[in-house]
Amino acid sequence: MDLITENLLTLLILLPVVGAAGLVAHQLFWKSDEHLKWVTFVITIVLFLLTLLLLGGGGTSAGGFQFVQKFAWIEAINANYHVGVDGLSLWLVVLTNFIMPIAVLSTWNAVEKRPLAFYVFLLLLQSAMVGVFVSLDLLVFYLFFEASLVPMFFLIGIWGGANRIYAAVKFFIFTALGSLLMLVAIISLYYLHYQATGTGSFDFVTILNSLQMGTLVFAPETGLLLFLAFALAFSIKVPLFPFHTWLPDAHTEAPTAGSVILAAVLLKMGTYGIMRFNFPLFPDASRELAPIFIVLAIIGIIYGALVAMVQPDVKRLVAYSSVAHMGFVVLGMFSFTEWGMQGALYQMLNHGISTGALFLLVGFIYERRHTREISEFGGLANVMPIYATIFIITAMSSVGLPFLNGFVGEFLIMVGMWKSTILAITASANWNYIATMLAGTGVIFAAVYLLWMIQRVFFGKVANEKNRGLKDLSYREIGLMVPLLFLMVFMGVYPSPFLERSRDSVVAIKERVVRQAGGTVDAEQAVR
Amino acid sequence: MQLSDPNVNLYIILPEIIVALTGAIVMVYDSFFPRDRRVSGAMSIIGLVLAGIALFAMWSSSSGLPVTAWGGMVTHDSLRLSFTAVFLIVSAFTILVSAIWVEREDVPAGEYHALLLFATFGMMLMASGNDLVVIFLGLETLSIATYVMAGLRKSDLRSNESAMKYFILGSLASAFLLYGIALVYGATGTMNITEIAAKVADPNFPALLLVGGAMLIVGFGFKVAVAPFHVWAPDVYEGAPSPITGFMAAGPKAAAFASFLRVFVIGFPLVAGAEAAGYLTRSWVTVLAVMAIFSMTIGNVAAIMQNNIKRMLAYSSIAHAGYALVGFVGAGVAVTIAARDVAVAAVAFYMLTYAVANLGAFAIVTLLGQKDDRRTEFEDFNGIGFRSPLLAFTLSLFMLSLLGLPLTAGFIGKVLVFRPALEAGETLLTIMVVAAVVNTAISAYYYLRIIVVMFFKERTTEWVSPKVPVSISAVILISVIGIFYLGIFGNSVIEKFATPAAPEVEANLR
Repeated sequence: MDLITENLLTLLILLPVVGAAGLVAHQLFWKSDEHLKWVTFVITIVLFLLTLLLLGGGGTSAGGFQFVQKFAWIEAINANYHVGVDGLSLWLVVLTNFIMPIAVLSTWNAVEKRPLAFYVFLLLLQSAMVGVFVSLDLLVFYLFFEASLVPMFFLIGIWGGANRIYAAVKFFIFTALGSLLMLVAIISLYYLHYQATGTGSFDFVTILNSLQMGTLVFAPETGLLLFLAFALAFSIKVPLFPFHTWLPDAHTEAPTAGSVILAAVLLKMGTYGIMRFNFPLFPDASRELAPIFIVLAIIGIIYGALVAMVQPDVKRLVAYSSVAHMGFVVLGMFSFTEWGMQGALYQMLNHGISTGALFLLVGFIYERRHTREISEFGGLANVMPIYATIFIITAMSSVGLPFLNGFVGEFLIMVGMWKSTILAITASANWNYIATMLAGTGVIFAAVYLLWMIQRVFFGKVANEKNRGLKDLSYREIGLMVPLLFLMVFMGVYPSPFLERSRDSVVAIKERVVRQAGGTVDAEQAVR
Repeated sequence: MQLSDPNVNLYIILPEIIVALTGAIVMVYDSFFPRDRRVSGAMSIIGLVLAGIALFAMWSSSSGLPVTAWGGMVTHDSLRLSFTAVFLIVSAFTILVSAIWVEREDVPAGEYHALLLFATFGMMLMASGNDLVVIFLGLETLSIATYVMAGLRKSDLRSNESAMKYFILGSLASAFLLYGIALVYGATGTMNITEIAAKVADPNFPALLLVGGAMLIVGFGFKVAVAPFHVWAPDVYEGAPSPITGFMAAGPKAAAFASFLRVFVIGFPLVAGAEAAGYLTRSWVTVLAVMAIFSMTIGNVAAIMQNNIKRMLAYSSIAHAGYALVGFVGAGVAVTIAARDVAVAAVAFYMLTYAVANLGAFAIVTLLGQKDDRRTEFEDFNGIGFRSPLLAFTLSLFMLSLLGLPLTAGFIGKVLVFRPALEAGETLLTIMVVAAVVNTAISAYYYLRIIVVMFFKERTTEWVSPKVPVSISAVILISVIGIFYLGIFGNSVIEKFATPAAPEVEANLR
């Protein structure tokens, strides 16, 4: 058991790769596609159970990292394999490995073409995603961040819809461009650390310590440029307006499992990255540029909602709703209040669950009708009552109905923004109220576009004869929705177990950004 | 006239001797048994392996070899050793890649293998020469052999055109280089690079040196094919037989980089207290930085528009010369000898990663291209992804390594060459690195395009998966292992490349 817990994170990264190799071996010996989905499902379930061990990792009292492993990778440039989780990354790792079995289950009858390659890419993607959330060395982080592109690129490109090639290439190039500039910033950090202390380092913890001890100080403009390089990479991934154009294409064209993972996990890499790296490394720049990000986030919320409203395609509608929801997350982060940042983290999980579920539901109907046009449907509630019920609950969670998870996240974010002082230009003029109110309209819009879509799809008479014979959800489909529905309700009524675990880490980040405002480095803070 | 001790040391040029001798033996053997293709190939590979063993023995610091020998004409440092290792690998790969082509096209195998070995010998001289004349000799040996190889497919018009273009433009480049050498000699009174470096320290060095340096940049610029001296490359690369194209993009380019580095980084260094010498370095650093930006941008943008894979790879090689120049410039501005050696090693490592991925790609292009390189358009590769999965996935891997994706060799190569240029913290150099990464993103488009056509498009015509011969599978296997090894466990190689084999000649750096 010790062997497992000591190497837990490495196991979580490596096991999917081993599993993928196992799938290939399986295919070589059995020459049959039949078992592949079962094998993959079992692997992802095992991974999920292993992930649960992370929760037993004791308190995160100091906000420090747990399950840390560190050894030299490329000594010549002082790059280390360094992994660990704290309250910030813990839930994201759990979310990743929670979504994966569900995504696999959703592909049961959907993947006819090249199942082996499909499951191999799915597992490789899982490995890279976990790697992103746990790496504490900037170069290793970059490595996983980029590595996650390739499996997704193949997933969209091979198993996607009609316009898949365009979507896949756009997805890849948009993300690669942003992250490459981050690479420049990472290497620059290495040298700034070298000039300041005599040893170059890619290690996040080392650099952060040097910053906190005051041995490494960025010139204001250097800090600003580095912040922007990191932020660009993450903003594209989030995606923040105006970098969002790849998202609707990628989402719409991706196969269902791909969309689910994209929405649930890949987008979180962006917001996670901002919170993990941008805030602690460049607190001054973070504060300085926060208004810009808040404005972009609000534009994203309103724009995403308005565009979602007019989409004729259900999947595209959900995709644009992602833009709006992720806008909320960014808004909460940049409020620099405990409420707002905790809410942002919580909303990341909510979005993963609710939007992931919506994509699954869209996938179910697409498998039956091979179309996603809203106008093709109508009155589905009469034909598929279970489907309609689940869909409506999920949509409500996405809208932010009280007692469902979305409400908690959005509420926290809005309270956080309301209490924020980041937009206080003068003592009397604080724009935070306006920002909160504008964001609040986003919630209303969300209700409008989702309810309107529900009305057109589910209610009224069955207008289209083709819909009359549709089968309701199978046990498998219900089964894979149940955990998601359970979490929607559970996280809506009892959020504290989630928030408790992340509090220390989030507060530490917040303190770091806010406390530096006075220009003093707190001794206690520096020691940590 | 006073004769100085020539300081003869055969051991220091042992790898060169082995390669040259093998070339001669292969040639003689072929004139007696002309039909025996495999034997001459095998002999060549054995020769290259022996040279590699000799090189490895020399690499250990306990080899007791002097820094220079032969009257200072030959040097023994990490630059020479690491680049020589790259050349040997490139040549051995080329022989393996071309085995199928030699068979298919009825190429005179003995001649071809002998030429390849002589070209390798030339490349090795270029890396080990510490004297402008030796470097020029090496360059000409290499060039003449390569001219012939480019035109080996005698009946094909494209091959003829390729050889002719290469010959004319290559000669022009050689002329520039020679003129530059003459001017440098005129300015400093010596051909020896160590002595030139010392002369440069003299604050009153004549302006002639600047002109000579400019000529050298033109000459070497042609040979490494960086913009604006790259125009010959696409035509030549497209027309030459595929294995030769792969060789030209990896080998001679690396060799030219070796000499280019030696002459500029070691010959024209930053010198403490001498404003004028600093001016010389600053000039070439600025020129090369601008050339790097142009080379990457032109290479990548032009590569996007290609429909022929060989032509695409040709433009990509122009872009890669630009990336290598980034590391080169980083070596130029390094302020300590240790930092300089690390930067030089980074360029060597970059050329190694490029060579491995590029030759792997050319192995597959050669195999799929069939006789006369008929199938080298993108559309010929449509939808073969799952019909020849092994070939398609490995070709994709090579493309991803050329793109510089993490976990592959190309990523480590890129990180290493970008690093020294960022260390200086100068605006121009930072712009150069930003240009490099933006270009990397641009290049994603055409590297991914191969993956897109292979996996995402449907094939409309029939496809017979080719039988993969042993030689090609060996290259592919070694390349794949190499890409992952360099990409994940590259540390040992990087350190090997960066350790000086013998204590350095002290050049007084700023």
